[in-house]
Amino acid sequence: MILYSVVPPETVWPQNEKFSPNYIDITVNGTGMQVEPVDLGRAKIVRLYSANPEDYMNPRLAPGSIIEWKPMV
Amino acid sequence: MDNEHFFQNQGQAANPGGETAPKNPVVENIQQLGQTNTPTAGESNIYCMTIIGQVEGHLVLPPQNKTTKYEHLIPQLVAAEQNPKIEGILIILNTVGGDVEAGLAIAEMIATISKPTVTLVLGGGHSIGVPIAVAADRSFIVETATMTIHPIRLNGLVIGVPQTFEYLEKMQERVIRFVTKHSHISEQRFKELMFTTGELTRDIGTTVIGADAVASGLIDSLGGVGEAMSELNRLIEEYRKMKAGNPGVNIQ
Repeated sequence: MILYSVVPPETVWPQNEKFSPNYIDITVNGTGMQVEPVDLGRAKIVRLYSANPEDYMNPRLAPGSIIEWKPMV
Repeated sequence: MDNEHFFQNQGQAANPGGETAPKNPVVENIQQLGQTNTPTAGESNIYCMTIIGQVEGHLVLPPQNKTTKYEHLIPQLVAAEQNPKIEGILIILNTVGGDVEAGLAIAEMIATISKPTVTLVLGGGHSIGVPIAVAADRSFIVETATMTIHPIRLNGLVIGVPQTFEYLEKMQERVIRFVTKHSHISEQRFKELMFTTGELTRDIGTTVIGADAVASGLIDSLGGVGEAMSELNRLIEEYRKMKAGNPGVNIQ
């Protein structure tokens, strides 16, 4: 991977901070997605796995938006 | 058209004579979501895409980076190409660069879309933002926007063999070839800008500002959102005529 950017790599990847996100894969209304659980019942969308291009146009499914989701127990 | 609809609804809501006044969708949205509806693809014939912060590629960047995720943009461009309601695409850039592969992927998608495309560089279109900025049918830059052109560097673990240098050269060649193919800048001039010393404080390269980018042939014209939109509308009009005269044709 080559980062071609004016931002120095040490700013992009700070050495002292640990970045270990807890991503999980779920399916909501038939759309597969990778999310990061925020708290009980809510998760933040990281990316979609959908093959339907219109899903990517849906502002509710944009990366960073919060969706309701209940973990299976 | 949307305004008309909005005012109609307002009129109905304000009318005390009406028995069941329908709720104003805008007001309802403000109450429920704290904001008005974002314009969706169905409402405008132009699809506006923003490329901001770092172009995120194969590595997920730590959360302090503001990123544009290429795997989300690419299907959006597919949807824009396929959706008959969308007639033109406006790409607004304010990016510091990012992943070479991801940036070139977005640039190639924009370049190969059959619908009219216009890019507008606001603030900055640096590094990998340069090929994205030149990928559209027409490119604009505002007077104050800057574009930094500098050599590609390897990040992370580098094996110190001559082949590494060749590989790096090849990666750089991809960017140079794309930019010279999609803009009016010559390869020689672009390489001159890329390898200038003494311009940047901590790197080799050049920062071109607004008019300089146009003078060097990198960007087509100087202008803001008004100029970009009127050019896009003109291209859409041309595209419609072309399609009407020759159905089934795909123009670039």
